[in-house]
Amino acid sequence: MTVSGERRAWGWVAHLRDGGTTPWADWRGEGTREGVYLPGAQQLELLRRLHLAAHRDGGRPSPRLVERIVEASAPGRGTPDLELVGATDASPFGPRPVDPVDLPDAELTRVATSLIAEDLVAAGARRPHEASPLIRPWRTRYRLVGDPWLADPVREALVARGRPPGGRGSVVVVLGRDVATMVADAWTSRCFDEGSVPWREWLDPFAAGHRVPPRVDLERAAATWARRVGPARVRVVLDPGALPRLLGQRRAQRRRRAQRRALPQPPALAADAVDLARQVAAVLGLLVLPSQRADLLRHTFLPRLLDAPGPPLLLPAEHAEWATQRAVRMRDRMLRAGYAVHGDPDRLVPRPEAVAPAGASGPTDAGVLALAVRLMLDETQGGSP
Amino acid sequence: MTRRLLLHVGTPKTGTSYLQDVLHRNRRTLAAAGISYPADRFDAHFLAALDLMRLPWGGLETEAIGAWDRLAEQVRDHHGTSIISHEIFAAASRSQVGRALRDLGHDDGTEVHVVLSVRDLVRQVPAEWQENVKHRSSISYARFLRQVQDPAREGRIASWFWSVQEIPDILNRWGHDLPPEHVHLVTVPPPGGPPEVLWERFSEAFGLGGLDLDLEAERVNPSLGVPETALIRRINAAANRQLPPADYRPLVRELLAHQTLSQRTGSPRLALPPEVHPWVRELEDSWVAEIRERGYDVVGDLADLEGGPPPTAWADPDQPSEKQVAGAAVDAIKALLLENGRLQQEAARLRGDLDAAHHDLERSYLRPTYRLREKAVRRLQDARLGRVALRAYRVGRGRSSRSA
Repeated sequence: MTVSGERRAWGWVAHLRDGGTTPWADWRGEGTREGVYLPGAQQLELLRRLHLAAHRDGGRPSPRLVERIVEASAPGRGTPDLELVGATDASPFGPRPVDPVDLPDAELTRVATSLIAEDLVAAGARRPHEASPLIRPWRTRYRLVGDPWLADPVREALVARGRPPGGRGSVVVVLGRDVATMVADAWTSRCFDEGSVPWREWLDPFAAGHRVPPRVDLERAAATWARRVGPARVRVVLDPGALPRLLGQRRAQRRRRAQRRALPQPPALAADAVDLARQVAAVLGLLVLPSQRADLLRHTFLPRLLDAPGPPLLLPAEHAEWATQRAVRMRDRMLRAGYAVHGDPDRLVPRPEAVAPAGASGPTDAGVLALAVRLMLDETQGGSP
Repeated sequence: MTRRLLLHVGTPKTGTSYLQDVLHRNRRTLAAAGISYPADRFDAHFLAALDLMRLPWGGLETEAIGAWDRLAEQVRDHHGTSIISHEIFAAASRSQVGRALRDLGHDDGTEVHVVLSVRDLVRQVPAEWQENVKHRSSISYARFLRQVQDPAREGRIASWFWSVQEIPDILNRWGHDLPPEHVHLVTVPPPGGPPEVLWERFSEAFGLGGLDLDLEAERVNPSLGVPETALIRRINAAANRQLPPADYRPLVRELLAHQTLSQRTGSPRLALPPEVHPWVRELEDSWVAEIRERGYDVVGDLADLEGGPPPTAWADPDQPSEKQVAGAAVDAIKALLLENGRLQQEAARLRGDLDAAHHDLERSYLRPTYRLREKAVRRLQDARLGRVALRAYRVGRGRSSRSA
């Protein structure tokens, strides 16, 4: 390591620790060694981006967050911590040093996800609804399946009201909406449970194989339950307005304030927010058990993502035809099977607004990084709920 | 007593499984000599490494949560010599190394020694490809070599390969805060020599000489030949989507690769393609020169890191002899049939045990005294006073079970 290169690097580290935003290539100052090793280029560039974002918002990250970033390491397999170009002699060993500005956004996000996951573990799961200890004996017996992004919050709310699913003579409610949105819902739901591969890596094999993800296949879900309980007890619900009555919620709504007792709607999230959850889920899987991970993602992390900017997750335009074909096939098969369908069966066909314009392709690395940086700043400034 | 830590951080395919097996099985003998190998299971240090480095590993990572902190605490609590060993520590970043040394007491006076067992790259390159294949990969040998040779080292395969195999870089990360005499390189002898030489070197590096250790190997990581590796790769391509990691490990890696296909001895061995050989030899020479200059403690001979000449007849694992692959496949099918037969016998035995238990249970239910007691309990439960009496009886009897 050359003396001037090393001093320049330590000077830049001190500059960043002090809230500086000068890029490495423009940095000319020097400093003294303040640690056993020079932090990696990814960590330092993430810190610089954090300061840039903080300056825009008129804030400043806490000294603790600054130190956590400096000492962090990217989780999982992938690019190792990289040296700053010009800070060291040109060594023939190890990965090539880089100018941090050239690092892909995804590499910076990798480091950020580790810190966000740690914050989530520290915050703990905050369930909005605890299961009611009092189970209503007069409750309508139901099972709720289908689109998990629609069904899970409804089921959870009903459990909290003392109306758990199951029981003798349950009606099976297969909940869905248009296939394009359900496909996005299925990936979103995976991202907030066990994590997933990236959007297109997950989606494209289904489209190429002319099949839909299992959680989207309402006809298959209906057939499975029809075999168990008989087709007469299966209801396919494509009109959300029909849901309260089928789940025995109508009377309760009349008696209490409608707003408080209404069944919850699925959270609307930006595509970047979902992808960030996916990446954070991967790190959380290394810190907590799977059941805790889902709780942290859904009940602690998701509320922080609700106001994340950016377009929602939409089906890519090139897959619109595939989704339409699968929707028509699903509709026809369900009608042939004779299930009771609440709502127009044509609601399965993708709505134009559920399909992305040509060229748009879901989450972006820049958007995900910007969101990750914003969340870290919110955390340090106490802005999180 | 001074705390001393011997931290064995790699590299893969250098006899590490054998070493860890010996250390684990001889924990009591080591403890009697004041040496702690803090591992309650044979893979405890592997789990600790996953935890430290936040590495996912086919679902095993859920077992690793908290493993690093537990291991570090055991090391800090031991007044004497402790040994930690796992080859994936080689991939730790500088910040992870910094945390590891801090947690293990380096700043509090613990004398830390880093041990790195190393083998020539001519053998390591094909061995790493084989490890990839034994971990579900279906990447071809040619593509693997292209990725490893790419100077950008982009992608998971190349970045992982170099992070666990590039000796000077591993030592930069692990040894930068240690005096060179606290960094020990154990070289793996060239093929064909007496097998005990490697253990003697390990023994010297870890200060185990004079201890009466059981050296019988129970866990090793054996190598496969060309057709056997090609077969596993084809199995991966065909079954990966359906076979979950929890089933892959015992069935493919253990049963097929380690227990069955590694026993086939007549197959051509994996080797570097002749055209890649000079590039690898050049790298080896530069590594040896660098290591010699740094002045580390070398147990063995640095010349061991200079790989042998290219094979006279090279067998391409991407284009294997189909006859040889078929032979390996027959052995694999036989092994699966035998295992299936064993499992069926086991299932039949368990079913028999279950039937016998059901039979005994039914007999006990059919006894008049049981039916009488059951009737009494049912009647008592129907009346409030009866329920109170029943509860009082159960409390008096000292059990809370509701069964009759």
